[in-house]
Amino acid sequence: MLNSYWLDANMSTDDVWKKICLAFPILADNECSRECPEDNVLEEIKELKLNKCIEDIVICRIEQIMRQKITPDFWSRFSERKTEIGGFERFKDAVDFLYNSFSNFLPMLENLEKFRTISRINRVIYGEETLLGTFKVIVTSTLLSQLPLTHQIITEDFYKVSFKVFCNADKSDVDQDESSEDVVQCGGCSHEIEQCHCQAILLVFHETNRKLIELDLLERLAGEVITTLIHIRIENHVQESCKGSFDTSYISSLESWLSTVVMGWLTHIYNVNAVSTQSSIKKFHQKISHFLYETYTRTRIEQLFNIIIEYPDSQPAVEDLRICLQKTDLRLYLTQKLQRALETRLLHPGVNTPDVLTAYVAAIRALRQLDPTGVLLETVTLPVRHYLRWRDDTVRCVVSSLTEEGPSELADELVRGEALQLDEGAPSDEDMTNWEGWNPDPVDADPSKTSKSRRTSDIISMLVNVYGSKELFVNEYRTLLADRLLSQFTYNTEKEIRYLELLKLRFGESQLHYCEVMLKDVYDSKRINAHLHSDPNFKLDRQQFPSTAMILSAQFWPPFKEETLELPDFVKEHLQIYTKAFETLKGNRTLSWKPHLGSVNIDIELKDRKFNLTVSPIHATIIWHFQTKNQWTVEELSQLMHVPATVLRRKIAFWQSQGMLREISTDSFLLVEESSTRSKCPVPPDMVCEDEETESAMASAHDQREEELQVFWSYIVGMLTNLDLMPLERIHQMLKMFASQGPTAVECSLRELRNFLDRKVREHRLLFSGGFYRLPKS
Amino acid sequence: MAQNVNPLVSASTTDTKTDEETHSHSQDNHSVTKRLQKELMELMINTDKSVSAFPEGESLFKWIGTISGPKGTVYEDLTFKLCLEFPHSYPFSAPVVKFITSIFHPNIDQLGNICLDILKEKWSALYDVRTILLSIQSLLGEPNNDSPMNAQAAVLWPDKVEMRHRVLAEHKKSESQ
Repeated sequence: MLNSYWLDANMSTDDVWKKICLAFPILADNECSRECPEDNVLEEIKELKLNKCIEDIVICRIEQIMRQKITPDFWSRFSERKTEIGGFERFKDAVDFLYNSFSNFLPMLENLEKFRTISRINRVIYGEETLLGTFKVIVTSTLLSQLPLTHQIITEDFYKVSFKVFCNADKSDVDQDESSEDVVQCGGCSHEIEQCHCQAILLVFHETNRKLIELDLLERLAGEVITTLIHIRIENHVQESCKGSFDTSYISSLESWLSTVVMGWLTHIYNVNAVSTQSSIKKFHQKISHFLYETYTRTRIEQLFNIIIEYPDSQPAVEDLRICLQKTDLRLYLTQKLQRALETRLLHPGVNTPDVLTAYVAAIRALRQLDPTGVLLETVTLPVRHYLRWRDDTVRCVVSSLTEEGPSELADELVRGEALQLDEGAPSDEDMTNWEGWNPDPVDADPSKTSKSRRTSDIISMLVNVYGSKELFVNEYRTLLADRLLSQFTYNTEKEIRYLELLKLRFGESQLHYCEVMLKDVYDSKRINAHLHSDPNFKLDRQQFPSTAMILSAQFWPPFKEETLELPDFVKEHLQIYTKAFETLKGNRTLSWKPHLGSVNIDIELKDRKFNLTVSPIHATIIWHFQTKNQWTVEELSQLMHVPATVLRRKIAFWQSQGMLREISTDSFLLVEESSTRSKCPVPPDMVCEDEETESAMASAHDQREEELQVFWSYIVGMLTNLDLMPLERIHQMLKMFASQGPTAVECSLRELRNFLDRKVREHRLLFSGGFYRLPKS
Repeated sequence: MAQNVNPLVSASTTDTKTDEETHSHSQDNHSVTKRLQKELMELMINTDKSVSAFPEGESLFKWIGTISGPKGTVYEDLTFKLCLEFPHSYPFSAPVVKFITSIFHPNIDQLGNICLDILKEKWSALYDVRTILLSIQSLLGEPNNDSPMNAQAAVLWPDKVEMRHRVLAEHKKSESQ
């Protein structure tokens, strides 16, 4: 194509080339000369009708120069640096260099543009209509195509230094008088105050940014770095400002910090032509304020466990978090994080149950504020509830803290009263009066539950719901009450009656009927005792020692721990008389004594000492036996008293500690008539014996369960004797069909049964092979 | 009609029965179940382990029983399995009891049928599973040689050694099955 043109024009190739080169000196290797060729040269070239071709050649040449000279030169300045300031200088140099080269091209581009107008070319190159635009695209693309790996270090240096200076300037505005006196180094440029470079740095910074904007390179080259810097800055600031303090709200102060300091810096970067960058600054603001929220939320979520523990004091922090959660999408993150925190910090055997409960109560309150619908609470505390259900003493802890003396959150809750709301009920009708204020449940809500059931704010209900049934709670309370009544041995029940009334408000009359009978028993016992003692027929008051009885209706009390104790004969006679007196008073009724319960007030006279002690019957019996013989072995006592040797040893330890008995050889004890050293018996007279550990007189839930399982065991033996081999499921099914009927229907889950059977296998009372259980051959 | 024919079966075969009667039968059924349930519970709680029984499957009307041979007899140290089937008229008619384990005994035939008066004409509603099993257990030690179902065993009975030999052989036979 080119050939035909210059043949027509009757010109030699060289001539044409020279002319073109004259117009565009860049083609002749004279790097962009600044002289402007005369217009007629352009006109002449135009005559050649090579317009597009020439333009192409020129652009190609520009690209070549960019690629081979300028870009490598530019990036070479991004090589290693020693200090941040060094990096700052290098970046500035590089940008200056680029800007200069860029300006060198400008006259030539003007020329080309002129040429375009003359020859009326209208074309779009690289998506840009103007040649300047095309040129910028070329610059950007060649630069980016040769991007060295380490370029960010220098860029980062540049912005870090300037940001530091900027922040310093901003800070010194605030507290000028403090920093001006004794600080030798400038906070901004790390030079001594006298030689502060801050102003210079800021100037250079502005200049460089202006150039970059002119080159359209700011976003491309530094955008990422700026964003990272800002993010780091925000993170640090958030961390610093709200570390460990939950009692103030930070949202507004953080927001104002963002819009003054950070946005100030950003405007400084973009400020050159304010109008055009306005929208991008606005966008930037939105982005970073979202980031700020997110960072703050994450920080708070990290601390959430501590926030919950300190709850009523940390209310502002919870409120902050609530607002933030609405702006960010971090609910799931919160759930996971908090659950993990709970699991690692709360739900392990090292934490006492009361502490777990306190944390749970705090969590209920805090999370209610965080999410009034209760969905968050439900999902987050699910593991806590599972865990509490698994702990043996949960119910006991709840019940005892409910009825505890002194300040206890739960006791306060109880006094507040309110009928217990268990979520076993069918979906109740929603509150229709306030339908305008209705809000849908959050997305992570469990659709199978009504929103109302979640909204209960009552903490006691939440705790009871851990188990899902009131019975367990009521039973535990009954045991606790029984223990308390029996350990007191006073007939004072006023306080207990008060608690019972409060509990009745919550759990309903019928549930607590048993407890009422128990209290009435105690009250009646007092009356009956008084009556029997005043009756002259039996001369109860003229006996060797006075005895009183606590008369309990067996039906209504929780089962007692079965312990045997053979009392001395004269005590038994006493009790016999008492029984007779009772039988006369109440026809058709008799007493069955529980000798191991109760207390005895005894006087002990030794050669050199006298004691008055209140001890348990078993203690008293032990020491009484030493009256007849001053040396006993544990075995002898065990036979005489029908008490297991292990128990005896424990009880004897008490007398040893009192300095009254001495172990002369293993399991053989001697009465110490005279204490050799006075100091050895620092026991104040009239001391009430505290048992080693305050044991419960009631059979524990565990023991009761054991007993129930024992019934199952006889059935299991029965079926295996007759049916030989059976798999677990079949045994379970059979038990369900044949053993779980009648008045004392007991349920046994498949898992519990497996555990039970496995235990029997370990005890060699069962064999397990091939999925079948069978009895060992006897 | 024999008394221990399942009345429910006969009810379904004869169309003349009214709804009311079937209803009363099911009520009877309920009381039978209750009685068997109670017997089972007593049996389970009882500590005497020489006799034992348990329902075989879903139904309470068919049980498997186990008795151990009484001490001092040729059946010593052996256990025998029985099958007890209760009629719906229980306890007013006797259950059908058979040995599952094959046993060599004057009053028990090859198929396990037992000749015992309390299971036949002398049945009374006062007997229960436990007493039945105990009676059968004592029958092992004291057979009624006057009316034998297994004549050979009746003849051999006085010879303890030979008797023990045959009993062991028979027991082994059913174990190997």
